[in-house]
Amino acid sequence: MKAVHESPQAEPRQLQMQKPKFNWKKWLYHLVTGAFALLMLYPILWLLMSSFKESSQVFVTAHSLIPDPFILSNYVQGWEGIAGQSFGTFIKNSLIIVGFSTIGAVISSSLIAYGFARISFKGKAFWFGCMMVSMMLPHEVVMIPQYIIFAKIGWLNSFLPIIVPQFFGHAFFIFLMVQFIRNIPIELDEAARIDGCGRFGIFYKVILPLIVPAMATAAIFSFYWKWEDLINPVLYLNSPEKYPVSLALKLFLDSETASNWGAMFAMSVVSLLPVILIFFLFQKYIVEGISTSGLK
Amino acid sequence: MKLRPAGDNLAGYAFISPFIIGFLAFTIIPMVISLYLSFTSYDLFTTPQWVGLANYIEMFTGDEKYWTTIKVTFTYVLAGVPLRLTFALIVAMLLNRASRMVGIYRTLFYLPSIIGGSVAVAIMWRNIFGNEGTINQILFFMGIDQKIYWYQDPTSALWTLIMLSVWQFGSSMLIFLAGLKNISPEYYEAASVDGANPFQKFFKITLPLLSPIIFFNLVMQTISAFMTFTPAYIISKGEGGPLDGTLLYSLYLFQKAFNFFQMGYASAMAWVMLLIVGLLTLILFKTSKYWVHYESKEG
Amino acid sequence: MKKAVLSLSSLMLAAGLAGCGNDSSSGSSSETKEGGSGEEITLRVAWWGGQPRHDYTMKVIEMYEKEHPNVNIEAEFANWDDYWKKLAPMAAANQLPDIIQMDTAYLSQYGEKGQLEDLTPYTKDGTINVDNIDETTLAGGNIDDKMYGFNLGSNVLSVITNDDMLKEAGVELNDENWTWDDFEKMAIDVQKATGKYGTNPMNPPDVFFPYYLRTQGERFYKEDGTGLAYKDDQLFVDFFERQVRLIKAKAFPTPDVSAQVKGLEDDFIVKSEAAMTWNYSNQYLGFAQLTDAPLTLNLPPEQAENKALFLRPSMFFSVPKSSQHKEEAAKFIDFFTNNVEANKLIKGDRGVPVSSEIIEALKPELTEDELKIFEYVESASETASPADPPDPLGSAEVMKALKDISDQILFEKISAEEGAKKFREQADEILSRNS
Repeated sequence: MKAVHESPQAEPRQLQMQKPKFNWKKWLYHLVTGAFALLMLYPILWLLMSSFKESSQVFVTAHSLIPDPFILSNYVQGWEGIAGQSFGTFIKNSLIIVGFSTIGAVISSSLIAYGFARISFKGKAFWFGCMMVSMMLPHEVVMIPQYIIFAKIGWLNSFLPIIVPQFFGHAFFIFLMVQFIRNIPIELDEAARIDGCGRFGIFYKVILPLIVPAMATAAIFSFYWKWEDLINPVLYLNSPEKYPVSLALKLFLDSETASNWGAMFAMSVVSLLPVILIFFLFQKYIVEGISTSGLK
Repeated sequence: MKLRPAGDNLAGYAFISPFIIGFLAFTIIPMVISLYLSFTSYDLFTTPQWVGLANYIEMFTGDEKYWTTIKVTFTYVLAGVPLRLTFALIVAMLLNRASRMVGIYRTLFYLPSIIGGSVAVAIMWRNIFGNEGTINQILFFMGIDQKIYWYQDPTSALWTLIMLSVWQFGSSMLIFLAGLKNISPEYYEAASVDGANPFQKFFKITLPLLSPIIFFNLVMQTISAFMTFTPAYIISKGEGGPLDGTLLYSLYLFQKAFNFFQMGYASAMAWVMLLIVGLLTLILFKTSKYWVHYESKEG
Repeated sequence: MKKAVLSLSSLMLAAGLAGCGNDSSSGSSSETKEGGSGEEITLRVAWWGGQPRHDYTMKVIEMYEKEHPNVNIEAEFANWDDYWKKLAPMAAANQLPDIIQMDTAYLSQYGEKGQLEDLTPYTKDGTINVDNIDETTLAGGNIDDKMYGFNLGSNVLSVITNDDMLKEAGVELNDENWTWDDFEKMAIDVQKATGKYGTNPMNPPDVFFPYYLRTQGERFYKEDGTGLAYKDDQLFVDFFERQVRLIKAKAFPTPDVSAQVKGLEDDFIVKSEAAMTWNYSNQYLGFAQLTDAPLTLNLPPEQAENKALFLRPSMFFSVPKSSQHKEEAAKFIDFFTNNVEANKLIKGDRGVPVSSEIIEALKPELTEDELKIFEYVESASETASPADPPDPLGSAEVMKALKDISDQILFEKISAEEGAKKFREQADEILSRNS
């Protein structure tokens, strides 16, 4: 390791070394990765194709990916929503919940992570321990007392019990960012300090740009976790006009009567789109981490 | 950083203050209450009755199913977590290169993790492993007329759950990717000059520099694997069947709390879980000194 | 620090967890006190179900709001799973809606633990008109003579047959007087002739085993719910050994196969994979809509001799003790039960209505399949005897134990004798703990 570190010579990047020559390696790479991606994708293809099938046909023709007949009415019906609430309302609710939660969680977590990773203070181990432990208690046993707390504050049937706690940091993201920050050479902090930066200055000017990949990762996770979160909306939201997508999807289903599988699948597909979009947008920042490391 | 300015305590608390406020406001009280409830008999509707250690004693001596669920959960964690992480790391390395297609591949590989706990995924998973399901059809197609009855046997049913968790490796992969991207290419360039082969590069550069992230994934995946609830719940329709083969700890805990209204017992189960997971995490943290490499010593 | 936390949490406990249901000061979302009909009132109504139920129930609510301009109804609905997850914390925090849809499986838990109001006074003073409702039907929601649930409809056990498959196997079913042995033989005959299952799995066992006991003149639970009523484990053995024989003859699906059914859409009878299916009568409608095969509703075997059949309350409306608008809630229940126009929307979705007048008024409105269900329930009610009282406390655990043991027997991990013994031990332990 050390030896590697010390050899100063730079060489063109690995990837650019693959000169036009043969490139069978590249083909093999795409063949393997592509085939593998398709394999991973089969179930999602199944979901997509099922959304074009009639509800009664979904399971009867489960082995076939080709819808016969091919229908779009699931999307029309699904979008009309349930009991007078259009599916658009559910998406809007999800976006509000997820948007605020994600912003809150990412910003607060990065601040907290900096405190844990770079500043040594009394009781740090204790608080870090508290944070880890808070992830280890199954939600089922804390949810009733938590529910009562929110009932006392009068937050029931609102987005607040779902959104507000996110602004106080999310243990998973805090720990993630701590790990990233600890991998940043301390010399950078020192340099900034010599330049006259205070704690916050170091955090904002040095650390923050360097943990963009971690923040992007956290944003993707937070978006997706809140998007599919079911238990909190189930507990805290009562009025259908406040339901998010995750809860609304389940309204199509019932074990006693015929379920509207088609609409459920169609709206599942629709509800995947924002998540995929966010992922596609943010994954770029994970890639771009490469340029910032050049700081070294 | 040998010097510790006097303002550090203040600065430290200033930065982590959001966490402390949130912890005190929303987390600590419910936790303490659940600890108290674990020594009571509580049916959600009437006042909890103090029963001392009765719940804990029942758990370890009287409840056959408790040991089943411990066995099932440990199998799930010990098999699932390493498989998932290895898989995630391999794919992350595969995708850690500059190619126009990579963005799309990344999305494709992440997709399975996105549809996560939805009802759709449970239905689809049951379809794949069903007696007339995709796997048996492929076997038939390949000329093997021997069906696998995944859900007839508790062990193979658990394996379908493990495979589901491996299939949804996306989140770990993403974190690995972010970690890989943070390794300066200069290291690899230098190693190439020294004539290192890809294996040497992997073991001498990638692994040590990625170790904080591997550590993170290992800890978090272990914790969350112990807590896994949704897949088992939706795939087994809340039953944990066949023959309790997929009765993960959280699922059993949920049944106790909300189907049987034994919140006291469920709380006791939760605290035993906390001890188990806490102990394992502590061990991981203690051993991390020997294999996790940080660029900076802490503050 | 620790002290502060402790005292805080004990405060919480005192305020919230210890709620015995009477703490109405922190009660529901009501905006005004109960009073004259002129005041603005908000009623929260909660139910579980699928999309059709959500859609039409909202329409019924709109009708009600039009008739009672001072009443504003907040609907809270979810599917079965989510519904019960919502309800438990609400109960613990005294936040239950004013009207909650209730199931027999949960009635005693919520009722006996002091969450629910006795509705008898409202039926006595006519707030809920029960003139056209049979006494025993009404009593379906009673525990210790307190009406914790108002019965919304009735279902009756049935054996639904695919007549094409029966014809192919050359068997005929006379549902007036067929026996359990006839049933077994028919199932095997069908399997031999068609290669398909003779019957669906009789799942969950907590529905069908008690019915078997009733045909033998026995009961599952003791009247007071303190233990098992049947004394002879041979009954248990006979019931499950028949299933094991059927499994060996490939006429009955193993539990793993039945666990793969995802919904009505791929049920055995819908996919013509079984000639007979044991189900409640209301399921017939869904099946009939999903398959082209000719289906018939039949009385299950040996129902006549011991009057084994009974009208099972499909679901209830309950009013929690914490509600501040009990009277208004009762008025809504009355509307839901007795209003003809409302019931033209509800039809048989919540079971065949309890009011005889409504049944008569609905008949011309019904489709052929719906009518079959109504007629089936009517014919069954002639020979039926009163239903067992609502499942006692701890029944959820007993049901789970029965299902586990039934699976073990059907997978042939244990013998039916061992199962019988094991089940009795477990059930006795659970029920004695809860009484």
